[in-house]
Amino acid sequence: MRSLACFLALTGLTLSVSFAAAQNRFDLPAGPGRDLVYGHCQTCHDLQSVVDSAGIRRGAWDAFLDNMKDYGLRISDDQRARILDYLATYMGPEAPPAPPVAEAVAAADGAQIYADTCIACHQEDGRGKPDEFPPFAGNSDLFLSPDFPATVVLNGIAGPIEVEGAAFDNEMPPFDFLSDDEIAAVIAYVRSEWGNDALRPSGFADVTADEVAALRAKPMASDEVHALRASLK
Amino acid sequence: MRTQGSGTGISRREFGKLAGVAGLALGVSPAALRTAFADEMVDSAEIISGKASGMIVHNADLGVMETPLTLLRDHDHTPKDVLFNRLHYPHQGDAAWYATTAAPDMPDWTIRIDGLVQRPRTVSLSDLAGMDQVKRVSVMQCAGNGRSFYAAREKVGGGQWKNGGMGNVEWEGVPLRQFLEDQMLLPADSAHWLTAEGWDQPATPEGSDFAKSYEMDDPALDNAILALKMNGEPIPAVHGGPVRLIIPGFYGNMNVKFLTTLLLDAEQSASAFQRVGYRMPLGPVEPGQFEANDYTIYNSVPTYGHKIKSVIFSPLPDDSPKAGPVEITGVAFNDGQAAITSVDVSADGGGTWKAATISPAESPWAWYRWSANAMLASGSNVLMCRATDALGRTQPMDGLTRWNPRGYEWNGVDRVEITV
Repeated sequence: MRSLACFLALTGLTLSVSFAAAQNRFDLPAGPGRDLVYGHCQTCHDLQSVVDSAGIRRGAWDAFLDNMKDYGLRISDDQRARILDYLATYMGPEAPPAPPVAEAVAAADGAQIYADTCIACHQEDGRGKPDEFPPFAGNSDLFLSPDFPATVVLNGIAGPIEVEGAAFDNEMPPFDFLSDDEIAAVIAYVRSEWGNDALRPSGFADVTADEVAALRAKPMASDEVHALRASLK
Repeated sequence: MRTQGSGTGISRREFGKLAGVAGLALGVSPAALRTAFADEMVDSAEIISGKASGMIVHNADLGVMETPLTLLRDHDHTPKDVLFNRLHYPHQGDAAWYATTAAPDMPDWTIRIDGLVQRPRTVSLSDLAGMDQVKRVSVMQCAGNGRSFYAAREKVGGGQWKNGGMGNVEWEGVPLRQFLEDQMLLPADSAHWLTAEGWDQPATPEGSDFAKSYEMDDPALDNAILALKMNGEPIPAVHGGPVRLIIPGFYGNMNVKFLTTLLLDAEQSASAFQRVGYRMPLGPVEPGQFEANDYTIYNSVPTYGHKIKSVIFSPLPDDSPKAGPVEITGVAFNDGQAAITSVDVSADGGGTWKAATISPAESPWAWYRWSANAMLASGSNVLMCRATDALGRTQPMDGLTRWNPRGYEWNGVDRVEITV
């Protein structure tokens, strides 16, 4: 029943109040699958509902995920199984296991991080969702500056933007739970997929993990990132 | 204003230690848990424009918040700035308009009446405003109000509501049955169900649209209105303006916000919010034996009318009462089908009971105020209250017998522990 939105747009009727979604930050215990929870659940809401439900059984978490599907959660069967394992193990009635000891980690896989973390909004084909989430495919913002995409991933971005002629007004939360390596890898992936290589200015170097670390040390508010984007345009 | 949530002195940085040592024990209160995970929380006034500061937030992005009883008890009609709220989809993007207690400025709003009718109609807001209006004072209560109390048997996922997901509200609008008759829809004989839909949409097309269905011959619909006003002014956007279907005595979710569509149909809506969500099992269920996704239209019923309930408003622990004589006060209500005839109050954990004095209610669906004199002793005092109505319906002494995996319709005898 959203025809009203179109109507409002057509008539240019402005609504006096537009409260940006206010997201709280919740840190969940480290464990396999946690980043899937960060990546998928925070598309619609912060993690208070997960935290407030801490302690329920696996069967109850299983039903909880079915319920979220009714609210619009989109995840693959594999992602669902990994999220359920995480919630049942780390947010269940038993004390969670000790955080995994840091092992020699394999090199960050940009495609895998994209599939686990970005795909819910920006979609498998990198085309985003009209009116909701901007596309990456053919998005020249990826090359606004070497640092810009990493700044968005670390801090989020909020406010109206136009991407290749299409308007968006939404809020992306920070994805700073990703490591420096992971952020560098996923940005390199997005900059080379879906024909984006063709947009790459000659001699344009990808952001390195060390550069991501330096950006992380200087946190920004999501509306400051919005202003930064405007200044780079 | 972001406030430091430092009540327990546990920072989220220290959470790993807490989790390792203490685990997520069920004994840890939701507030303490939350403090362990998040070191700052957004205030309610920052989430929905016009809401009071200090509401108890359950889900910031959906604007879900309940009223501290210390704010709720001060008003006969719960004002818009402190009334609890529940939305189903994020108030982002083109849905940002409803994140305010201001009335929506949408003069061209229309409602479509369709389905198994020979003459589908579209009615405008100004048409509605020109029709005869009636007032209905009714308790508006979230079906999940009191969910946190079920944790004493087994914790239920979702917002951990205490008693503040309710308010006593005056609505005003067009009587539903007369309205439908006046439209001369010529419905089919098989149109046994009425379905109401609102403007709000799930975050993705894969989600289920929110809709509620009622049996056409349900007597509760005799009192239903297409409400245009709340507490004497146009309905605040966040509370469902410009038009909200109000069925007095029904749980909150049944009162569809942002009403756009009324369908007369042979079946109830296919919406998951009608067929799986917001339902109660037909009989008692055991934790682990019946999960939140096991509901069907055959083994459960929608959360229609309020189960009889009473809540203590004073004294509360925050009042720090002294030992000696005290007036215990509170409210009681039901679905409006029969008058509340008694409220029994105990100040010694159920050992002895006395009848409270009940003030007349404004309408069958409004809450009754009651009070009783008692003595507080030094040490721990457990205050309790229990309402009964003219049909003999009363509150279970042990509300946990009605445990259900979605945590709805808590109406166990209310219990407040006061240490003097």
